[in-house]
Amino acid sequence: MKGCFIAWATDDATRKRGGSGGFVSAALAAALDSKLVDNVLVLKKTSPYKATPIVTNDPKEVLECAGSFHFVSVNMAQYVPSGRVALPAKPCDARGVIERAKRGQLDLDDVYMLGLNCGGSLHPKKAKKMVEEMYNLDPDAVTGEEILKGELILKTADGGKALKIDDLEEKGYGRRESCRYCETKIPRMADIACGNWGLPADKVGKTTFVEVITNKGEEIFKNAVDTGYVEFEPASDKAIELRDKIEKVMKGLAEKWHKRLFEPIEKLSDSDRLAFYVDALSSCIGCGACRKACPVCACGDNAKCLIEGNSDYKIPLFLMVRLLHLMDSCIGCGRCEDVCPVGIPLTLIHRKFAERMQNKLGYVPGINLDKPPYFEGELGEDS
Amino acid sequence: MTEFEPKIVAFCCNWCSYAGADLAGVSRMQYPPNVRIIKVMCSGRIDPLFVLMSFLEGADAVLITGCHIGDCHYIDANHKTKNRFEFLKEMVAELGIGEERLRLEWISATEGEKFAGMVRETVEKIKKIGPSPLRPKVMQ
Repeated sequence: MKGCFIAWATDDATRKRGGSGGFVSAALAAALDSKLVDNVLVLKKTSPYKATPIVTNDPKEVLECAGSFHFVSVNMAQYVPSGRVALPAKPCDARGVIERAKRGQLDLDDVYMLGLNCGGSLHPKKAKKMVEEMYNLDPDAVTGEEILKGELILKTADGGKALKIDDLEEKGYGRRESCRYCETKIPRMADIACGNWGLPADKVGKTTFVEVITNKGEEIFKNAVDTGYVEFEPASDKAIELRDKIEKVMKGLAEKWHKRLFEPIEKLSDSDRLAFYVDALSSCIGCGACRKACPVCACGDNAKCLIEGNSDYKIPLFLMVRLLHLMDSCIGCGRCEDVCPVGIPLTLIHRKFAERMQNKLGYVPGINLDKPPYFEGELGEDS
Repeated sequence: MTEFEPKIVAFCCNWCSYAGADLAGVSRMQYPPNVRIIKVMCSGRIDPLFVLMSFLEGADAVLITGCHIGDCHYIDANHKTKNRFEFLKEMVAELGIGEERLRLEWISATEGEKFAGMVRETVEKIKKIGPSPLRPKVMQ
């Protein structure tokens, strides 16, 4: 049963509440119902700007959490509990889970990842400001949001308003910076990849495009169908083509953003680049929020980066060690930048260091378990 | 003003490169006194943190030395040294402090001349490119 399908939740309420067809919520609930997994990790929306990761074994609660939200900055990988668990995963969640598995933080055989196609998310705080300044709406009046065809649509009690994401981003709002240049749009490292890309026009919002990738994915999908939570039909070649086309366009845009953000730093001379790094990194107050938020970090309380350096160091030792340590494993999820209280462009800088090493190694972290983290492993036998 | 004298930190392993440095000494080979040798049991003990800290404390160059690949007294620890060096090298390059400031050299106990030559070369190079931009302000 591997391959591409168009699926939807049989329950009307779930289908309506879900982002597009409610397949993910239905499949998660089905997995709980038939004891395929012990727990499900989902995001529970408490306001349009806040969603909290919860671990639950109640299928009803899972169904209540249905629906897509973009005003959220959470990496689910950190919250994966022990035991058999299923979770919806954006590409960076899925990559975080795999990197954590590499570091012995969890057993990948026990984790079922229902991947979500992702064009990017928005920082909740900045989103609030954006609603006020760009949409001229009261942030609390917003009841829902949706991204469709490059437009961010905000829904309120008396209608809604749509603005082009490109325009928002030109003004400094829109998606988080790391999302703009992220090139992993379809989470093919997860067990199933779901989304609305590729759906025929009359089915958008009512069904989910599902690609079943691994054996675990097959298990989840079959279980959802067998328990009656989900119905499906095979995806047409046209739909698959359309999805690939959308992915290509998204990747192209990401490449453009990458160029736009990285080239100015690359063009700097050695001494100017150092000045940029020193200037940006020396404002660090050493709160350690980036380390706590990082889905890849797994060193624990005895981490090398916690060793205190002198206050007269041009770059804090904490950040120097982290830069080095993440060179092979940074997945570019953007969490460090989101949580930095002094606004250091941390993800950009981490990516700059990491891309250099990862390109040299020909290694992309968070794709599969085939290769170890290089920092711990070996590069080769040569001397 | 007096001529700029680089401060260089050299990490040497107990079994090969320290003995190599020792041989350079007892054979009266001449090399500049800018180097501060730190002896470790094995080059595998050289935590990248030591190197980063050396730079942040004001070292103008860091030399990492150890037994030749295959000669390590702790089986294969110098493979790990090599691995970490590759990371450090990229980091130094990205920071833009000058790739000449970090060097890895395998030196056996008989290669006193190699050790002396390495120090001479490094001091000459660093004198040309000047003090490390990562030096703390008090040292500038």
